[in-house]
Amino acid sequence: MSWPVKTIAERTGDLLPGSPWTAALYVLLTILAVTAFMTVTGLVLIYAERKIAAHFQCRLGPMRVGWHGVLQTIADALKLLLKEDIVPRDADALLHILAPVLSFAGMLLVMIALPMSPSLQVADMNIGVLYVTAVSGLGVLGILLGGWSSNNKWSLLGAMRAGAQIISYEVSATLALLVVVLFSGTLQLSGIVQSQEAGWWIWRAHGCGIVAFAIFLIAGTAEINRTPFDLAEGESELTAGFHTEYSGLRFSFFFLSEFLNMFVLAAMTSTLFLGGWMPLHIGHFTVFNGVMDIIPPGLWFTFKTTGMIFLIMWFRWTFPRLRVDQLMRLEWKILLPIGFVNLFVSAACVVTGCYFFAR
Amino acid sequence: MSVHVSTLQARITGESTASSPLSTEEYFVNMGPQHPSTHGVLRLVLRLDGETVREVVPVLGYIHRGIEKMGEHGNYRQFVHLVDRMDYLSALANNWAVTMVVEKAAKMETNDRIQAIRTLVCELQRIQSHQLWWGVFGMDLGGFTPFFYGLRDREQICDIFEKTIGARLTMNYIQPGGVMFDIHPDFVKDVKAFLTYFKSKMPEYDALMTENVIIQERLRGIGKLSAERAIALGATGPVLRASGVAHDLRKSEPYGLYSQVDFDVPVGTVGDCWDRYWVRMEEMRQSVRIVEQLIDNIPEGKTFLVKPAAKIKVPAGVHYSHVETARGVLGVLLVSNGKDAPYRIHCRTPNFNNLWCIGEMATGGRIGDLVAMLSSIDIVVPDIDR
Amino acid sequence: MPADSVLPPAESVATPEVLPPPEKHVGVGGAILGAVPWIDKTGAVGGVFRAIRSLFGGMKITGGYLMRPSTVVTQQYPENRETLKLPDRFRAQLAFNHDENGYHKCTLCRICEEACPNVSIIITGREKPAVSKKELDSFVWRLDSCTFCNTCVIVCPFNVLRFDGTFESSVYDRRLLSYTLNQYAGPVASVLEKMEDPEARKAAMEARDPYSGAAIIAALIEKQKATKIAERAAREAAKASRVAAKAAAAAAAAAAQPEPPPEAEDVG
Repeated sequence: MSWPVKTIAERTGDLLPGSPWTAALYVLLTILAVTAFMTVTGLVLIYAERKIAAHFQCRLGPMRVGWHGVLQTIADALKLLLKEDIVPRDADALLHILAPVLSFAGMLLVMIALPMSPSLQVADMNIGVLYVTAVSGLGVLGILLGGWSSNNKWSLLGAMRAGAQIISYEVSATLALLVVVLFSGTLQLSGIVQSQEAGWWIWRAHGCGIVAFAIFLIAGTAEINRTPFDLAEGESELTAGFHTEYSGLRFSFFFLSEFLNMFVLAAMTSTLFLGGWMPLHIGHFTVFNGVMDIIPPGLWFTFKTTGMIFLIMWFRWTFPRLRVDQLMRLEWKILLPIGFVNLFVSAACVVTGCYFFAR
Repeated sequence: MSVHVSTLQARITGESTASSPLSTEEYFVNMGPQHPSTHGVLRLVLRLDGETVREVVPVLGYIHRGIEKMGEHGNYRQFVHLVDRMDYLSALANNWAVTMVVEKAAKMETNDRIQAIRTLVCELQRIQSHQLWWGVFGMDLGGFTPFFYGLRDREQICDIFEKTIGARLTMNYIQPGGVMFDIHPDFVKDVKAFLTYFKSKMPEYDALMTENVIIQERLRGIGKLSAERAIALGATGPVLRASGVAHDLRKSEPYGLYSQVDFDVPVGTVGDCWDRYWVRMEEMRQSVRIVEQLIDNIPEGKTFLVKPAAKIKVPAGVHYSHVETARGVLGVLLVSNGKDAPYRIHCRTPNFNNLWCIGEMATGGRIGDLVAMLSSIDIVVPDIDR
Repeated sequence: MPADSVLPPAESVATPEVLPPPEKHVGVGGAILGAVPWIDKTGAVGGVFRAIRSLFGGMKITGGYLMRPSTVVTQQYPENRETLKLPDRFRAQLAFNHDENGYHKCTLCRICEEACPNVSIIITGREKPAVSKKELDSFVWRLDSCTFCNTCVIVCPFNVLRFDGTFESSVYDRRLLSYTLNQYAGPVASVLEKMEDPEARKAAMEARDPYSGAAIIAALIEKQKATKIAERAAREAAKASRVAAKAAAAAAAAAAQPEPPPEAEDVG
């Protein structure tokens, strides 16, 4: 079975010679759709996080607004919209306003490269992996600027922690990502998904995949500043870290981008290691593969991403936070050497063709 | 640009040795009076070098209510309920401290039933206080979930107190000459049910926090306090015992029925945060042991041997008595001029002395360590200021 | 510092374990560790596995609670009003014990008023009692200053007071926190029971509004102020007369002696 990939960008290109106006309308609709999708995903994720956290902790969570509190996030969003938007007197006003936008923009730009199904992907660049790595680095800029411009020592400490942490962990995340690039032989995200037609890289690579998966998950969790790596916020240490001085809508931008970053991480992890929208295939067992193909690819992507999001939430509501020097030690002394060794072993595997269902 | 390399020696002493072209400057931060980890309105002035703490100075007085002065304006019975508000997590032990000094000075009699009830509720409250500490400790280290588990289990003890005493926090239960109410008919049954429940929860506490590698990494070797310094600073309770000094008033000067029950005093070796953590976890188990021994053997008798309305006259002189609360030694010094109201009262509260250990511990640590140390001391701020 | 002089005997001291016994929880990591015999379980690799296992152990606990919704302990408060039962002894609101006829037993002995540590009880008697010598006019209890110490209840010799569990006592006006506890102003139950004529009994009982406490306190404060002003006026009058008398005496002395000593001018 072949999987014809047709992205929204290609469709726009097809429309372009006929009528540029239709193409422009199509682009506009796409932008609206992506924004709407992000907002809805953010709201759902926040609600899910609150409910799941509550049940981890023998609580019920939001129960009042709507059935089992489903409208609670909307009520909270409205509240945040109506709150006074404070810029501290001695803050660097321009940067203070710019920071949450930058943080949000980085995450938004990653979103358009995610392959959600063969027909649902905004743009499929041939250097997709490189693009995602580069653009997701914008988020740290927002956090750094937010902490710096607030003119608050706690914020600055949080921002500096975040800067050191995110830049360090990006190294490991990239090393883990390169393992998949080695195995699939392409930087294109849809190509990586299609390279997993015979099986997902997490199990096909003789252990290299699972090690890379673990490293990517840990490093990714650190990159999106979630417990046990939430040192940038560290509410028991730095009150609220880099967003101490933010309120109202600007705070909600930071908040939303944190949750959407989690979605992006989960989506990237499932794309790289769990086959993205690719159904569960095992080599040449055509009957089994055929049965799995009954479930549409979009649903596979949703299942995998949801599972990863749940795992990240599970981490957050179980573990305490690391200390700042332990965080650095974990990265530079443990994850990075393992990542390098893993990369070399994977390279050897690829050269010798020593992995399951090698072509 | 040369790279700043910190030697092992520098890491131990907390001093920067390498001369780096990146000149750093020390700065001051106010931690508190409004801060999530200062457990109330405590203010710590920190001198920081980046993330490293160079000096900590606690600044007090944000919740001073003059409890000792207020005590001089009422009679002895009226003072008892005020000490509930000092260390609100061990209100019963505070009541007992005042009651004990009054009873000792005025030579009031009690019976075994009164003492058994007092011992029982105080031990239950010790468990309750440590449960809350455990939860808050988890939260200060960044894990939210222990907080809810700790509070959920504490609620069971609060419900027992609510039935017998009628209050959950500020009890005013132990009175000079007895206890305010007899135990509720359900008390024995409820306590036994709680013990069964709690013993099944202790392994969960261990799995969630004690055995967790992050917790162990963050606590071991952090905030060391030597036995000599702990004694010199006047630390008591789990903070002192974690430093290796086996000092527990329940053993060394037994009051209540503590001389008749069998229990151990857990003692640490190094005096770091991990030892303080371990000592408190073990104390919960020991308190369970004490309650188990007493719950079936509450003697019969009256629960109030004097008329509650009768005025207590304490002979003129200086009287002192102390108890072991969940946080250490609470001593009450009473100066009487022979009237029915105290001439002067002073409380030697455990948290005040324990707090000053933070200056000793925190120097050279990180901000995250400071939070862990502060939490491992387990301070209750109203007890510091009074 | 003679530290060892305060130490208890050594046999009462438990020695701390360094680590909890590792075979308590066998999670995924533990299973892997157990299945691979060549891993040195105390070395660095074993340490990594122990660490992973400890993390899985914690996740097992939280995951277990997620899977069992029956462990939720949240109480949905306003909805569970009907089923919510507070213990009998719960101290939420001070109340008067009225018997089945609606009579109380308060004899105005004022023991509770005296025992109250923070003047939360204000008792006033009737100025012109109708039947007996002492009759209660109003028993005002101030919730806003009460610390719920229960002392008033245990000192009352006639068992008039009790704390009951009506805990929803928040109001929008602070003045409504001063309650008049007695339902009627009048004599105690024993006096009322002796009266055979129900009409006379009714006449001796004057209904009291539970929320009139604030008005009574305000009246008391006004009264206190008036007394203070009167006292002050009296004091000042006395002082003035004293000064006048001293001045007169000094004048008389000056008339007798032309050079008065300087301390005689001190009239303060």
